Amino acid sequence: MVKGEKVLALPGAAAGGLLLLSLTGRVQENPVILASTLGAAAALLLWLGWQWIGYRRGGEYPGVRILLRPQHYVQALVQSSVFLYWGYYWSPVYDHFWLLGAQLLFAYGFDTLLAWSRRREYLLGFGPFPIIFSINLFLWFRDDWFYLQFLMLAAGFMGKEYVRWTREGRNVHIFNPSAFALGLFSLALIVTGTTQLTWGQEIASTLTLAPNIYAFLFLAGLVVMYFFSITLVAGMAAISLFAMSALYFALTGVPYFIDSEIPAAVFLGLHLLVTDPSTSPRTPLGKALFGVLYGLGVFGLYTLLGAFGAPTFYDKLLCVPLLNLCVIAIDRTVKSIPYESWAMMWKRGWNPARANVAHMALWIAVFAGASFAGKTDSRHTGDSIPFWQQACAESLPGACGRLMQLQATYCSDNSAWACNEIGAHYREGRIVAADTELSLGFFSRACELKSMAACQNLLQADAVYRPPPGDLDLRLLLREGGLNLLELPLTDLYRRACEHDWQFACATVRS
Amino acid sequence: MSAAPTEASAPATNSRRTGFILLTLIVVFVFFWLYRNAPLAEPDLEMDAAPMSAADGFRVDAWMLPDDALLGFVEIPAGAFVMGSNPLQDPMAYENERWSASRRQGNPILPAYYIGRYEVTVAQFNVFAAQSGGSTAPREGEAAHPVTGASWPEALAYGRWLGEQMRISPATPQTIRDVLDSGWAVTLPSEAQWEKAARGTDGRIFPWGADPGAGNANFGSGELREVTEGACPQCTYGLADMAGNVWEMTSSPLQSYPFDPAANEATLEQDALFVMRGGSFADAANNVRAAVRGAVDPGVRNPGIGFRLVISPP
Repeated sequence: MVKGEKVLALPGAAAGGLLLLSLTGRVQENPVILASTLGAAAALLLWLGWQWIGYRRGGEYPGVRILLRPQHYVQALVQSSVFLYWGYYWSPVYDHFWLLGAQLLFAYGFDTLLAWSRRREYLLGFGPFPIIFSINLFLWFRDDWFYLQFLMLAAGFMGKEYVRWTREGRNVHIFNPSAFALGLFSLALIVTGTTQLTWGQEIASTLTLAPNIYAFLFLAGLVVMYFFSITLVAGMAAISLFAMSALYFALTGVPYFIDSEIPAAVFLGLHLLVTDPSTSPRTPLGKALFGVLYGLGVFGLYTLLGAFGAPTFYDKLLCVPLLNLCVIAIDRTVKSIPYESWAMMWKRGWNPARANVAHMALWIAVFAGASFAGKTDSRHTGDSIPFWQQACAESLPGACGRLMQLQATYCSDNSAWACNEIGAHYREGRIVAADTELSLGFFSRACELKSMAACQNLLQADAVYRPPPGDLDLRLLLREGGLNLLELPLTDLYRRACEHDWQFACATVRS
Repeated sequence: MSAAPTEASAPATNSRRTGFILLTLIVVFVFFWLYRNAPLAEPDLEMDAAPMSAADGFRVDAWMLPDDALLGFVEIPAGAFVMGSNPLQDPMAYENERWSASRRQGNPILPAYYIGRYEVTVAQFNVFAAQSGGSTAPREGEAAHPVTGASWPEALAYGRWLGEQMRISPATPQTIRDVLDSGWAVTLPSEAQWEKAARGTDGRIFPWGADPGAGNANFGSGELREVTEGACPQCTYGLADMAGNVWEMTSSPLQSYPFDPAANEATLEQDALFVMRGGSFADAANNVRAAVRGAVDPGVRNPGIGFRLVISPP
């Protein structure tokens, strides 16, 4: 352990690093980011100065001990690989690089000073990495609001430090630090209707821009599963979500999640967010139950958030803190069940590592089966707009709402066809209540995007022109996993459209 | 020294309480700050609008429209007119002004309608913007200059809004209220309506005749001027700036002559492109002729493009 006045250089170095980062073009390009970075550095220096005065008066300086925990650096490496792979296909991730660095520097400085303010030595390692990476894999604020990102980090670290309980005789933090910060800020963003201040929606929907993202996350998840025995949590969460999605489809004829069995961001969350060993149950059955409850929570919150008109991507974030609160109850409950005598009979006598490998084998088989059945990276039923149009025409549960939601997404992606369709729905008043203002608004947007049908719908108050999508629309509508179709030859584009059940495209292909 | 406190000494308890209070304050601040800034999460359409005072000759109590008997609208009587160009009479004519393979010019017959004497002004558009609930941004500029930088749907929305206002307001002249009550609409002119209003029935090359320099038009000047400066008593219907000042958007999709509104449906699956007429302050004489046909993408907002309105039968 290192102790003495010189250790004060650690948070000083973090603040200095922030000042250096403030010289980079990425930080300088936006005055709010620049002010936020300088403000974060100033806050660390002020706090350090205040502590330094206290230490000089008391004569005893704080300590720092280097402790490299595999659960930190392995997790950080896995998370980094996700950033690298995802960012290769979605450039804002790479643009975020310097800001990620600023957050890491702030986190080290803040965590150090927080530990010292609690009269503890600081354990220097890779601890802040998984917290910062976890947060940034799910939510970050836009440039003009970036100071809130630093506050979110501060809340995460303070939650870890101050919101604690005694569990199995040890004083430990209740919440997964990143999930605590994400949960709190998600709630604030939902309540105040300010999601647009963040990249949350884009983050949730752009993971699929990376091809075979499910397979990638699965493989990355295996590393974490192998080293930290989180297979039961992640696997059971995934299995329960697969099962509930399949059950919903069997009962209603439409997919539960629009374009996947498990949204890619949820798949990421169940591998890298909910699996913090120190805030999840200790017993095998407790872990399995924890995973199942996460699956149920995501499944339920998806509908609940949608019903309140809130963005549904918060589903995977909000339920983690709630589950963290249930950990003691879960452990207590499973301990009261004599499950060792039946459920675990097949692996009686196995040590935990061997049991984990067995769980992993089972999970690999489940994922392989789901992939073979086309439930992961393959084309999904819900990817096809004609499917939802047909389902809506047949009045299948929730299908018209999903159709509107899907078209609204494509409209916001600048598909003139999709905007015109929504305008037509509001003018016709068949699948949604008629609303003249809204219909004119969507027709206007479509018209500005060069839809002549929409322009004519604007000119003629009683007209509803709804031609099929144009070439540019098809290039947007058929992206599926996020492929860039802008250069796709027309014949291939129409063939692809036909595969997605666009009958006019099939007619074109045949001719 | 342990990695995590296992006993709660008095200073540690105090420090924890302080920290917990600080955490609570951060959370409360974030909720408050986001709530306070929630409107900023919406697209910012606010701009400094032009002052809401009327220029001379315009009425504050009537949507800044011109102060005359028909609020600046001029009746164009029903009947035929000459549309398109004959290169033998007009050497500056473009090929797209030819009526058909066999005819140089056409003679469409139009029912009566009303058209604005002036281009729509900044002040007029900003009355609409102010009442749009933030969906339309006010435009900057001199109050009596033609409004520019409005997209085609915005121009149409302005006409729709003005029609609704005029239908219910006592400020509306009875003649106009009667036609609105019978189903006429305030909208953009078709290109036939525009051309007839510009050149009359005798096929003039410019609104005032054949000599480019004989009119009071703003072209080749490089800058906008107030709409009232374009008075043209020698023009058939006395309309201002039918040549120059700003290009004027029409409701007609760009397609080859002969002009036929029934053919509009054939364009439904094409990219939208609308005819604009009249040329602008930046153009030379050949582009401000009454028969010139420009085209504008409906999403374009251009400082050289504006519009005027018609009150037109269905």
